Amino acid sequence: MTAKGLAKAKEIYAKRDLRVRELNAQGKKIMGYVCAYPTLEMVTAMDYVPFKILGSMDEPITKADTQVPTIICPMLRSMLDLGMKGKVDFIEGFIGAHTCDCTEKFCHLYQYNMEFPYYHFLDVPHIAHEASFGFLKSGMQLLQKTLEKHTGKKIDTDRLKEEIKKHNALRALVRELYGLRKQDPPLLSGSENLQIMLALMAMPIEEGSEMVRDIIAEVKERKVGRPVKKAGRLLLWGSPLTETSIVEMIESLNDNVVMDDICTGTRHFWPDVEITPDPLDGLAKRYLNDLKCPRTFRETTASFEEDQEARFGYIRDYAKDWNVNGIILQSMKYCDTHGYEVPAIKAYFDRIGIPAMYLEHEYTMVALAPLKTRVEAFLEMIV
Amino acid sequence: MFCAGIDIGSTMTKAVVMGDELVAQVIGPTGAEHRHLANKVMEEALKRAGIPFDDVACIIATGYGRINVPFADKQITEITCHARGVAYLFPTVKTIIDIGGQDAKGIKIAGGRVVNFVMNDKCAAGTGRFLEVIAEALGLKLNEIGELSVRAASKAKISNTCTIFAEQEVVSRIAEGIPIEDILAGLHEAIASRVFRMAEKIKIERDMVLTGGVAKNIGMVKAFEDLLGYPPLIPEEPLLTGAIGAALLGCELVKKARDKGEAFERGERRLEAAKFFQ
Repeated sequence: MTAKGLAKAKEIYAKRDLRVRELNAQGKKIMGYVCAYPTLEMVTAMDYVPFKILGSMDEPITKADTQVPTIICPMLRSMLDLGMKGKVDFIEGFIGAHTCDCTEKFCHLYQYNMEFPYYHFLDVPHIAHEASFGFLKSGMQLLQKTLEKHTGKKIDTDRLKEEIKKHNALRALVRELYGLRKQDPPLLSGSENLQIMLALMAMPIEEGSEMVRDIIAEVKERKVGRPVKKAGRLLLWGSPLTETSIVEMIESLNDNVVMDDICTGTRHFWPDVEITPDPLDGLAKRYLNDLKCPRTFRETTASFEEDQEARFGYIRDYAKDWNVNGIILQSMKYCDTHGYEVPAIKAYFDRIGIPAMYLEHEYTMVALAPLKTRVEAFLEMIV
Repeated sequence: MFCAGIDIGSTMTKAVVMGDELVAQVIGPTGAEHRHLANKVMEEALKRAGIPFDDVACIIATGYGRINVPFADKQITEITCHARGVAYLFPTVKTIIDIGGQDAKGIKIAGGRVVNFVMNDKCAAGTGRFLEVIAEALGLKLNEIGELSVRAASKAKISNTCTIFAEQEVVSRIAEGIPIEDILAGLHEAIASRVFRMAEKIKIERDMVLTGGVAKNIGMVKAFEDLLGYPPLIPEEPLLTGAIGAALLGCELVKKARDKGEAFERGERRLEAAKFFQ
C-alpha cells in the first residue's frame, strides 16, 4: 500500500481488510477483537496486528438471523453475519470481552460459529471501583497466560512497558488530531475524522501513528477540502458508527461535528496508560476507570446531580474545550447500553444549559431523511 | 410587506400569503407528483391575494417536500414553522400536537420559540393514515367517522400498536356485533393515546393546541379531551398553521435584514415545476 495520510485513511476506510490482508500475506498474524476493552498492548507484545471486528451498514444480513433474535444490536448482528460469510478469514484468533451484555453473548456465539484457533474471553467488571481493578488485573494475567500458551512466547514486564509507550504515542497523536477541530472552522470534518479512526482500528499501531502524523501536517497545510465555518458546532455521543453516512447527513446541514464521544472515536483512544511498576495495574486502571463508556457503572454518590457529574462531567469538559453549542445523542435501535443512558444524560445537559437532542437510527446508510429533518429542526432551535 | 409560505405535506399542500394578516390561502392534495403541483398552488394563492409574484418579499417552503420548491427563498422545517404559526394564532400556547397524514409531532414552546420536539414519522399508527385505513375497511368516508364515534355508548378496546393489526381487530369486532360507533370511538382513543404517549416525552403543558388535518375530526378532539382532562385549542383551519408560520418567519427574515441596513437575499425564484436534475 503506497497511499499516505488522508488518502491512506480513506482507502482503508473503504476497504477495511486492505492493509491487514497485505500484512497477513507477508506472514504477519492478525488478532481480531471487539470493542475498546481488550488489552491491545498485550496483543501487540505478542507480535499480532490488532484488528477491531466491526459491522457494516452496507451489507444486507443474510445468515446471522439463523443464530440471533430480532432485538439485538444491529452492528453485532452484522459482525456475526460478516464472519459467517467468511469476510474475516485472515484472523488467527479472537479476543472477546464482557463489555455490554449483547457483546458478551455475541462473543461466545461468534467463536461457536467461527472456531478460531485462539479465543479468549476477557471478563471486564461493570463497576469501576477498587475491588474491580484487582479483578480485571487477574483477568489480564489470564489473557497473558493463554496468549503465551498459544504462541509459545513469553512477554516480560519491559516488553509490555515498551508496548504501552507505543500505544500511548498513538493516543497522544489522536488527541492532537482532535485538537485541530477546536478552531472555527475545524481543520477537518467529523466525517473525515471518523474515516481516520476506523482506519486506525485496521492497521498496526506504529503505522497508525505515522499515518496520523502525516494527516496532521496535511490538514494544516491543505487549501482545498477544508470545512467551512457554520453556525452549529456539534458533539456526537453514543453508539459506534462504522460508516460516515450519519455524520455526513448531520454535516450536510448548518453545522460541523467538531468532537465526539463514541466507541469508534475518542472512547477507543483517549486515555493513556500510566506506566506502573507492575504494568497490569496501570492497564487495569486505564481500561476500567479512565476509559469512559456507559457500560461501566460509576459508583453513585450522594445525589443525582453528583452522580450525573461522575458519569457525564467529562463530556461537558469536551463541550467546553471544543466550543460546542449542541449535542447529538445518537444510538442504534435496540442498543440498551446507550438507550438507557439517554434520559439521565439529556437531563444533565438540560440542567447545565447545553442543548441536546436524541436521534435513534437503524444503523443504515439509507432512509436518513426523517433524521435529517430532526437535526435541521434542532439547529433552527439552537442557532 | 407581503410574505408567502408553502407547506408541502405528505398528503396535502397548503399555501398562504400574509400581509398584516392572512390575505389568501389555498389547500390542495399533494399527490405523487408534488413537485409539479407546488408552483400551481402558489400561483393560485397569489391570484387570490391579487399580488404579483415579484411583490412577495419572501417565500418560505416547509414540509417534507420543501427541498423541491424552485421558487422558495429558503427552507425551514415544519417544526419551526408550526410553532411560529400556532404562536401567532394562540400566543399562550405551550404545547402543540400536530397530527398529519403520515406523521405526528409534539412541539414545546417557551418564549415563542421551540424548546423541544418529538416526532413519529416511522409508523402509521398514530397518524391520519390509521383513520384512512379503517374508514376504508368500514366502507365509510373519512369525514364521517368522527361524528359517528362521538355517538358511542361505550368505547371498544382497539390495539394501537399497528394499523394493520387494528384493521384486523375492527373486522373481528364487527363480526361480534359491536356497534360501529363504539368501534370508531375505540379507534379514535387508540390514536389519541398513541400520540399522547409520544407527546408526554416533552411534557404536555397548557395551553395545548391541536393542529393538522386530524384536528378537524370531532372524534379525535373528544378523544384528546378525554385523555387531557380539558379541551385542546383548535385553530379555525388546522391545516394552515405550518404555512402561516413559514410566511411569518419569512417576514421576520426580511425585517432582520432591513434592520441591519441590508437587502434580503432572495433565491432564484423560478415559478415553475421542480425538475429532478438541475
